[in-house]
Amino acid sequence: MHVTFLQALLVAIWIALVMSRAFLGGATTTLRFSPMMTGLVVGIVFNDVHNAMIATAAIQLIYMGVFSPGGQMPSEPAIATAIAVPVTLLGNMSPETAVGVAVPVGLLGSYLYQLRFFANTFAMQKFTDKYASKGSSSGLTFSIIGIPIIIAFIIFIPFMFTALYYGAPFIADLIKTNSSSFIFHILNVIGGGLAAVGIAVTVYVIGKRSYIIFFLLAYFVAVIAKPLNITMVTYAILGAIIAFIFVLAKSETFNSIKDSFGSGGVGSGASQDEDDY
Amino acid sequence: MKEIQQKSIDLKPEEITKKDVVIAWLRFYYANEIPHAFDRYIAASLLWALIPILKKLYKDKNDLVAAYQRHLLFFNTQLAWGGGTITGIMASLESVRANDTYEGKPLSIDDNLLYNTKAGLMGALAGIGDSIDSGTMQYIFIAIALPWAQEGMAIGALFPFIAFSLYQILIGYYFSQLGFKLGRNAATEVVGNSMQMLIEGLSILGLFMMGILAANYIKVTSSLSFELSGKNFVIQETLDKILPGVLPLVVVSGLYFYFAKKGLKVTNALIGLTIILGVLAAVGIL
Repeated sequence: MHVTFLQALLVAIWIALVMSRAFLGGATTTLRFSPMMTGLVVGIVFNDVHNAMIATAAIQLIYMGVFSPGGQMPSEPAIATAIAVPVTLLGNMSPETAVGVAVPVGLLGSYLYQLRFFANTFAMQKFTDKYASKGSSSGLTFSIIGIPIIIAFIIFIPFMFTALYYGAPFIADLIKTNSSSFIFHILNVIGGGLAAVGIAVTVYVIGKRSYIIFFLLAYFVAVIAKPLNITMVTYAILGAIIAFIFVLAKSETFNSIKDSFGSGGVGSGASQDEDDY
Repeated sequence: MKEIQQKSIDLKPEEITKKDVVIAWLRFYYANEIPHAFDRYIAASLLWALIPILKKLYKDKNDLVAAYQRHLLFFNTQLAWGGGTITGIMASLESVRANDTYEGKPLSIDDNLLYNTKAGLMGALAGIGDSIDSGTMQYIFIAIALPWAQEGMAIGALFPFIAFSLYQILIGYYFSQLGFKLGRNAATEVVGNSMQMLIEGLSILGLFMMGILAANYIKVTSSLSFELSGKNFVIQETLDKILPGVLPLVVVSGLYFYFAKKGLKVTNALIGLTIILGVLAAVGIL
């Protein structure tokens, strides 16, 4: 059970590319918020895409709804995945175990991103201001794009390499040697239940409180229809139709009120709604 | 006299075309959060996006330096809604300003107006953009792809990544052109009525998909069973007879009310739920 030098280095470079935000620029948004692509890269590097994707799907569930209003996040899904998935692959462990490893690693990862923030702040003050006052556009490009990328590589590559090369086999061994079914039972329960956090965050962030009824509708539709194995695409189409009907009904009601009362307020809209039923 | 005239023709601002705005938007898309810093967040990204346009507009070096410097004040927004719209608006306002400067007219767009336009829009647009893009669209794509990932297929990772990245490039392109065409009036269009309808529809779709995910992927079951007067009771079977899927729903609802009461404390929720689940699993209830 070990990680080769090359494997650790490749995954470390991938994380530095994502966390520097330099790999395809804005496309790194979802690379940073979602563990999916990092899981795929780990799978390719460790030559086991199949099991890597299964473990990553379990990790994705706890990070549903995670994004960063203002740029800082409580946890870094990509970093968590880069450590947790190799551990799972090395130890042949269940996907839920990956979640147990991912949570603490992700929390640590957020400190690294803060460090990058901090270093960038100094770089901006020292170099960007200078080049702006000289009117040097190539200097600005160097200080706005070049320096932050270099900073991110210096921060993330050594850390991720060490964590993977020495840390991952160590964690895998540790879990393996303590592998009583008792520990695994606890890890599995935690891994299965933590998915609720990501979903609750998304529900809290997305919609108005009264729209939660659509969440409940879908929940029970899915519970009822479980034996039918309906695909997500089908559910997405169904959801889109329901959303469309709601918006259509709302705008029609609004328009008919506007026609009959001139500038009818929103308050009368609510009573009109009830009359329709 | 002739020399001065010649010089002033050299200083004439070039016209900013749609293509320049496309390039500025793509530059913003690339730079986005690369120069993320504590004191001015992503101000430098917007400046870097606008460099080619500013160079075309301000041929006088002092004017160019002033333009560079005024775009280095604190700026933070969301990638496509905020970034796209504001990149377009800045291109439009700067070209008005550059022409005023060249013709020696009083500036109709002064430093304050430029910055206040940015500062007034960045928060509102980021609020909409974060909840629609990162909060809703991203997770609709991920929800669709999740079953593929669970079967161990690479497309489960590739689909949400490609779909979401393309989606952001395209809507950012639309918003940047809108911002350029309408200038400051673009803001009313972006937060306008039909957009509100679209946002509501999307948030309903997002909630719907979360309900589907919750039912399929949250795994909380009771492993408790006991003997009562010779009969074996398995709690989970009893629960399934009354209301299938009740335990996961209880966990999500509990978390939701926690967030509603205490604010969005994700880390606390993660740690708290880990401890609760761990203890319940250890004593044999779950």
